[in-house]
Amino acid sequence: MTSCPRPEDLYLYLEGELGPYDARKIEEHADDCPACREALAERRLLHEAFTTLAPFEVPADFARSVMAGLPEPETRRAGWLAPLVAAMASLGIGLLGFYVFTGQRVFGVLASVNRFFGQIIAQVAPLAAKTLKIGNVVLKVAGDIVDMGFAGLLTFSRLLGPEVVILVLGLGALLSVLAFFGAKRFLQGEGS
Amino acid sequence: MTEDRQLVSRTLKGDRKAYEMIVRKYEQPLTSYLSRMTGEREAALDFAQEVFIKAYCSLASYRPAFKFSTWLFKIASNHIIDHWRKKRLPTVSIDQPIEEEDGPMMPQVPDPGPSVVRRFELAEIRERIERALESVPEALRELFVLRHVNEFSYEEIADIKSLPVGTVKNRVFQAKELLRKRMEAS
Repeated sequence: MTSCPRPEDLYLYLEGELGPYDARKIEEHADDCPACREALAERRLLHEAFTTLAPFEVPADFARSVMAGLPEPETRRAGWLAPLVAAMASLGIGLLGFYVFTGQRVFGVLASVNRFFGQIIAQVAPLAAKTLKIGNVVLKVAGDIVDMGFAGLLTFSRLLGPEVVILVLGLGALLSVLAFFGAKRFLQGEGS
Repeated sequence: MTEDRQLVSRTLKGDRKAYEMIVRKYEQPLTSYLSRMTGEREAALDFAQEVFIKAYCSLASYRPAFKFSTWLFKIASNHIIDHWRKKRLPTVSIDQPIEEEDGPMMPQVPDPGPSVVRRFELAEIRERIERALESVPEALRELFVLRHVNEFSYEEIADIKSLPVGTVKNRVFQAKELLRKRMEAS
């Protein structure tokens, strides 16, 4: 006859946590050992009681009271923050690429478009035309500032050569995509 | 599990109904656990409410790679531990075998003595278990409740409590033998 099993193994046997070999060993031993048979029967009854303890009776309005106590969710800002970050990054990369490869001032193009629509609207609504004129001035100032930055980058890019510039722009675009998907998942708590 | 993920995802998008479904799904298991940990019905309900609010506020940190139930019970377990710490309840070391009046709690061979359970019917045994459970050290009681009331696997409990599976098995066993001894003595 095999030696008596450990009491913890009796419980694990009853829970189905032992493998078939160990379970069979306990069954065979209990057949031949009255003490273990007794111990197993006792623990079987206890196990049945352990696993059928009464569940807690929850009041019917409990869920409603929980919901009433909830604060406003803090995650809503995540819905627009990540796409905004990604859009800004993409715009920056696009402007840089446009300037490096065409040599044209993006803000100059935008100002021309703005002026064109301004002339049309000026005939219809003088106030709107004035607003567009102010917009043109703002665009011109912003364009000059950005152009200064781009001019510096252009000088730097000439030192690096076109291959390196393409590589940097490609990496920038990739980072924008990653920023969009990665930041969104992270901020919404859906990342792994 | 997938249903939980979907409900969490909807909640994060601002759908409060989805979170209400989560509350309704877990209110009973959570309060069953907390009532055994606190020993008081009203306290269990208050704790459950706090746990659900805590979970809601930190829902963005939930990682779908894990089961939602283990994540929720981890919050509940930490919450109850904080409560005990604040109240500075007396605790018993569970690193050593627990000494009973008649010697160490864990016999190494099955006890061939008179069967305690034969004397009682199953319903009475359950009542006695509930009463005896209150005197079991919290750390052992918690693992017992997670295993037998909440029916978590040993692996899930190990995850909730950040303990090795072997330690969890050993402590659940200690809790059960302690309950048996306490019932025998009563």
